[in-house]
Amino acid sequence: MNIVQLKKLQYEEVAKCTRCGFCLPNCPTYAVRRNEASTPRGRNAITRAVIEGRLELSADLAEAIFTCLGCGACTKACFPAVNTKDLVFSDRSCLTEVHANPKIFEKLSEALNEYHNISEDDNEDRAEWQEYLKDVPGEFLEKDHADIVYFVGCVASFFPMAQKIPADFATIMYHAGLDFTILGGDEWCCGFPLIGAGMPEKVTELKNHNVEKLKSVGAKKAVFSCPSCLHTWKHLYDTDIELLHASQLLRDLVSQNKLDLKPLELKVTYHDPCDLGRNTGVFEEPREVIKSIPGIELVELPNNRNMSVCCGGGGNVEMVAPDLSAAIAQRKIEEILSTGANTVISSCQQCLRTIVTSARRQNIELNAMDLTQLVMKSLSQK
Amino acid sequence: MEIDALRQRLKEIVGEDYVLSSSVDLMLYGYDAYLEMSRPDVVVIPENTEQVSQIVRLACEEGIPVTARGSATSLSGGPVPLKGGIVIHFSRMNRILEIDTVNKRARVEPGVITLDLQTAVAKKGLQYAPDPASQKTSTMGGNVGENSGGPHCLKYGVTTNHTMGLKIVLYDGEVVDTGGKAPDRPGYDLTGLLVGSEGTLGIVTEITVRLIEQPEAIKTLLGIFETIEDASNTVSAIIAEGIVPATLEMMDRLVIKAVEESVHAGYPQDAEAVLIIELDGLKDGMERISDRIIKICLANKVREVKVAKDEAERNTLWTGRRGAFGAVSRLRPNYMVCDGTVPRTKLPEVLRKVTEIGREYNLPIGNVFHAGDGNLHPLILFDCRDEEETARVREAGTKILRLCVDAGGTISGEHGIGLEKLHEMSFIFSQDDIAAMWKLKNAFDPVGGFNPGKVLPPLAS
Repeated sequence: MNIVQLKKLQYEEVAKCTRCGFCLPNCPTYAVRRNEASTPRGRNAITRAVIEGRLELSADLAEAIFTCLGCGACTKACFPAVNTKDLVFSDRSCLTEVHANPKIFEKLSEALNEYHNISEDDNEDRAEWQEYLKDVPGEFLEKDHADIVYFVGCVASFFPMAQKIPADFATIMYHAGLDFTILGGDEWCCGFPLIGAGMPEKVTELKNHNVEKLKSVGAKKAVFSCPSCLHTWKHLYDTDIELLHASQLLRDLVSQNKLDLKPLELKVTYHDPCDLGRNTGVFEEPREVIKSIPGIELVELPNNRNMSVCCGGGGNVEMVAPDLSAAIAQRKIEEILSTGANTVISSCQQCLRTIVTSARRQNIELNAMDLTQLVMKSLSQK
Repeated sequence: MEIDALRQRLKEIVGEDYVLSSSVDLMLYGYDAYLEMSRPDVVVIPENTEQVSQIVRLACEEGIPVTARGSATSLSGGPVPLKGGIVIHFSRMNRILEIDTVNKRARVEPGVITLDLQTAVAKKGLQYAPDPASQKTSTMGGNVGENSGGPHCLKYGVTTNHTMGLKIVLYDGEVVDTGGKAPDRPGYDLTGLLVGSEGTLGIVTEITVRLIEQPEAIKTLLGIFETIEDASNTVSAIIAEGIVPATLEMMDRLVIKAVEESVHAGYPQDAEAVLIIELDGLKDGMERISDRIIKICLANKVREVKVAKDEAERNTLWTGRRGAFGAVSRLRPNYMVCDGTVPRTKLPEVLRKVTEIGREYNLPIGNVFHAGDGNLHPLILFDCRDEEETARVREAGTKILRLCVDAGGTISGEHGIGLEKLHEMSFIFSQDDIAAMWKLKNAFDPVGGFNPGKVLPPLAS
């Protein structure tokens, strides 16, 4: 994107910012960095100054613009609802155009182009997580035709810490008698990391491939355990197939009495992932699933639902400022511990990875699991 | 001193990470929520009084201006560094140092967010009364600088009425205490002098405030009116009856509409005006006072009086009020708020004339204000990208303030003078009055380093 396009697309939006500063206390990056460049107001001001020619589009801007988590909490605190996340992503695209973006994103883009996944593994290994499956026949997972396609996502496919999530989710769906399949090596990255990297135009090839593959299966529904894949499909993909998050599908199974949930004596809290909650509007389904498990006590985080604070794993910030990402995760952990719950549940493998990694580095004892793992745990109780 | 050398010296004081000087950072520290912008030469983010003292001493020696900044939510340009120099950002000095529940005092650093203090003391059954609409983001240091008010200042007074003592860094870096927990300190009231001085006399690095008991009961009413006149008359009548509610806040149709589109606070969109009337205090007798208020409303042709049923409903009503300034920018991108004050009895007349000014200059004007105090906040809506329109806005703003002064009022209730109202200072002060203030300024700041270009207009030679 160039400045002319930026102006056309975003000038009216950024002009709504009156610099009132109501967004400051809602921004996790400001809470850590304590400077104006780490505020939504500051990022808006940068965008406006670039459009008005008061600030040069240069690598000097990269620090402020590439450390936004894209969590959207600022917009919820903003009375004119300035969409800072969108402004920032447009800025990133402009910085990329003039080669003032962090070099790591060029590598990311090349890797996605070559491997079609973010971990630079052979994409045929996407179904590696099936090793965790116990009593689901392998052939059941890779059918040519099915009602539902489970889009697993890169993180859950390739990162060992997250691979239990698809295994548990597939097991639950299998026992609930659903007709589903996965795309295996034909699943490509959804393109979400490229949006955060400021390369939205490079999503097209991935998108077209994925939509084509989904069509060929003849599925009526696609289900996602990754909120960011879901968000990308919902907002960037044009498909008339029903798109669901795992928590929504689980809630449906609960309400149809298809899950034999057994008691779990646990006090848990629930972390709303930004891309599932605030940015997609799914708040209650995961809570309904948790509450349907006998014996569980759910305590809310002080900041929940629309006001949920990002775990630190959003916006590709981890790739450019790992210290910032870790400090934000640390604050999230403190918020979790303040509830007195011994387990945190989330519905996003990326949130869990960020939270667990940070807790482990600081030797903090914290149980964290995905909603699907919690349900599996309840189902497996004797 | 060369700028690079200055930056180096500052880095030695606060550390490498807390001295900012990229072109982006300098742009970002040149604004607040007012229109004008400028640019500092360097930004520092200190973490204690000692560092602030060293920064100010260095600036004094080198003849460099120093401007203090909190969350920069101010509406009159207070933290805009007009003459460049050093901006001190207090974002890291944000610790609540002490909450003394027995003596009902709190000691805080200037970067503490107002609402964070309120939340912390509320857990101990206490209250810090001043409640600027921006309390969730404004800082205590900023509140002291601007002598901030808020809806509840009708009953409880503004920041100065709750400030017991300050630690201040003087122009040469010397650190002094102006008061503390004890009331009625003898000698000159330096605390009173510093509160509202907008960073032009000294830099505050610690604040001791008074806390009060939380009220036993709160009752919030929403009066819905067909005309602004009826609502204004109701305000005057309530006060004339000897009732002092905690708040008496008014919003007109334009603001109601903007707020409703933004947060659905439950204000009726076809009303010309609403009043938020809040009572607090002892449970005993509250019903009786509330009944009297309802009677007064009825006598002044209220359409309906709604009572908030619970805390959630109360919060919703207040969320709407606090977000009113932000919400109007859904209608036009910018607003200028004219913070004039008039005697309450003049409200209907002045509001009528404000509407006329809007018509004369062809500008939409919304009203949301502390009616109980007669503290108007006409919001003139515009788009600052239109220079001609912006010029009209400035003229209309000046005219509204003139109107307030002519009605026996003044040019600022709580938003300060900053750089916005230097010219209008002459509406209420003679050259001799201003000269007297300059003597005070010069006594505190003989080198003219603290926030130059603010509050006092230059004297005509």
